[in-house]
Amino acid sequence: MANNAKCIIDAKNIVKIYQNGSDELKVLDDVTLQVFEGDFTAILGPSGSGKSTLMNILGCLDLPTSGQYLLDGLDVLKASDNELSGIRNKKIGFVFQKFNLLPRLTALQNVMLPLLYRGISESEAMERAKQKLTLLGLEDRLTHRPNELSGGQQQRVAIARAIVGNPDIVLADEPTGNLDSKSSQDAMEIFKELNQQGNTIVIITHDIEVAEQVNKIFYIRDGKIYNDGGKGVG
Amino acid sequence: MKLKQLLKLVFINITQNKVRTFLTTLGVIVGTATIFMVVAIGAGGEARVNEQYAKLNVGTIIVMPAARGKVADPLTKKDALLFQESENVARAFPLLRGNGSITYDNFSTNAGFQAIQPGFQDSNHLTVQQGRALVEDDEKKKNKYAVVGAELANTLTDGNPSGIVGRSISINSRKFEVVGVYNPVGDSGTGMSYDDSAFIPYTVGEKYLLGTRANPTIIVQATGLETVQSAIEDITNILNETHRAGGAEQFRILDAGSRLVAAQESARTMSLLLLAVAAVVLIVSGIGIMNVMFVTVKERTREIGTLKAIGAKKREILGQFLIEAVVISLVGGVLGVIIGFAAVPLLKYFELPALPSISGILLGLVFSVITGVFFGFYPAWKAAELNPIDALRYE
Repeated sequence: MANNAKCIIDAKNIVKIYQNGSDELKVLDDVTLQVFEGDFTAILGPSGSGKSTLMNILGCLDLPTSGQYLLDGLDVLKASDNELSGIRNKKIGFVFQKFNLLPRLTALQNVMLPLLYRGISESEAMERAKQKLTLLGLEDRLTHRPNELSGGQQQRVAIARAIVGNPDIVLADEPTGNLDSKSSQDAMEIFKELNQQGNTIVIITHDIEVAEQVNKIFYIRDGKIYNDGGKGVG
Repeated sequence: MKLKQLLKLVFINITQNKVRTFLTTLGVIVGTATIFMVVAIGAGGEARVNEQYAKLNVGTIIVMPAARGKVADPLTKKDALLFQESENVARAFPLLRGNGSITYDNFSTNAGFQAIQPGFQDSNHLTVQQGRALVEDDEKKKNKYAVVGAELANTLTDGNPSGIVGRSISINSRKFEVVGVYNPVGDSGTGMSYDDSAFIPYTVGEKYLLGTRANPTIIVQATGLETVQSAIEDITNILNETHRAGGAEQFRILDAGSRLVAAQESARTMSLLLLAVAAVVLIVSGIGIMNVMFVTVKERTREIGTLKAIGAKKREILGQFLIEAVVISLVGGVLGVIIGFAAVPLLKYFELPALPSISGILLGLVFSVITGVFFGFYPAWKAAELNPIDALRYE
C-alpha cells in the first residue's frame, strides 16, 4: 500500500526464540511488518501462532532475540529498562482481553494512572481522564469500581485508559475475547471511531469477525507473517 | 509518579484490606510498645538509682575490720589521722558502730547507732531538720547527746517526730538526750542506713557503749572520684606500716562509688535485656510483614504487570510496595507508642518505675520504620523485578 503517512511500527526480521532446556522454540520467525499513522490494523492468527509474543514485542514488554524494531523512529532494542517504561507510558496504549483494571481504584482513578506515571499533576490528569471517559459514554460511572461495572463498561474504561495519554498506537490484545457479542460490537465501534479521529490501532485477535472490521490484516501462523498487511482473507 | 500520588495509591490499597493490615501491624504494635516501655522503665530505673544515691559522696571509702566482733589489732583514731595525710584523701573519720535496742517513751526498736566525730556530718551530707547537729564541744565533754536519723525518729515517734528533741532515748539501757533529727539522706554507701540510726559523739561511744569492744571503722573521703584508687593504695600502705602484725589483710576496704556504678550498670543491663526482647519481637513482626507483603505481591501480580504495561518504572513499583510496608509498620509503631503510654500507669501500679520520654517514642518509631524498610524491601524488590509478560499472564 502506497503510504505517505508516518511509519509508527517498523519491525524487521524479528526472531524470538524461547529456550526450554536444550530445546529451542522459534516462536517468531523472521517477522517483518509496518504500521503507519492512522492505520486500523489486525494481527490475526490462531492460538499458538505467536501473535501474543508479537504483541508483547510490539508493546515493548519483551525484546526480540534478533531483528530490528523502530517505534516511531526509536530503536527499542537499544532502550534501557527505564526508557522502555517511558516508551510504554507515552507511545503505547494497551487494551487487554481481561481489561486489567485495578480493582481497588475507581474508573476515573484507573484512567488517570498512566498520566500520573508520566508525572502529570493530579488535577490535569483528572480533567483529561474525565474527558476520555465522557467520550466513551461513562460520565456517570466515574466513581464506580470495576466490580460495579459490566464487562462492556470495564472494557470501555480500559480503552479510555489506553488513549488518555494520546499514545502513538493503541495495542489491543483480544479486546473482545471476554465480551458478549453486543458488547464486542460496541467495542469495535469505539475502535472504529477512535481510528476515524486519527488514532492508530492494532488489534491482536483470533476472531475473523473482528479482523474483518479493520482496514489491514496481518495473518500470522507458526510464527510467520503471511501477508504484508493487505486487506482480504488468506 | 509523584510521591503524593504514590502515597494515595498505597493508602487505597491498605485501607481496602483493613483486617489484614491490622493483623500485620499487631507484631509491630507489641514490639514498639515494648521498646517504648523499656526505655521508660530504663529511664525510671536510672532516675530511681540516682535519687537513691543522690546524697552519696561517691569518693567515700570505708575501711573496716574484716572480722566481726573483737579484733586483736583494731583500727584507731590515729589511723584516721594518718590516712588524712595522704594527698589523695580529703578527710577521714573514725566511726564506731553498733546495734541495739533503742527505747523512747516506752517504745523499743532494734536499730543501729553510730558514734561519730562532728566533721563526719558535713562530709556525709547529714543536716538537721530540727534541733542541732553534734558539735566539737559534745565530743570534748563527752556529752550524752544523740541526733537521730529521719526514719528512726519516725519509727520511735510513730510518724510524729516533732516532739522528740529535748526528750531522752535509751540506747542499750543508757540514757541520751536527743538534741536533733537529721534530714533523710538515702543510701549511705557504707552498708548501714544513716536514716535508721542514732548518732552519738565518738568519745561517748568509746566510753559508754562499746568500751573495750570498740572496733572502729574509718570513713575516708577521697579528694575526688578519680583519686579513689590511689587513696585506697595509700591506705593499704599505711595499714601495712601501722598494723605490722596482720597488715592490711585484716581490713576490708570498700568504695561507695563502685556501688553506684554497679547499681547503674545493673539498671542498664536490665534495660538492654528488655531491649533485646523488644528487638526479637520486632524481628518476628518484621518476618510477618515480609510474609504478608509476599502474599500481597503474589495477589497483585497481574496488577503489577498492568502497571508496568502502562509505564510504571521499576523504582516506582519498588517504592509503592516499600511504602506500603513502611506505612503498615509505622501505623503499628504509632499504635504501639499509644499503647505504651497507656501502660505506664499499669507499670507504676506494679511498682516498676517508668518515665515516658521523647527518646522512647522516637526509638520505637524509628525501629518500626526500620522493620518496615528492612523486611519490606525484599518483597518490594521482587515485585519490581517481575517480568511484565509473566505478570500479565499470571492468574
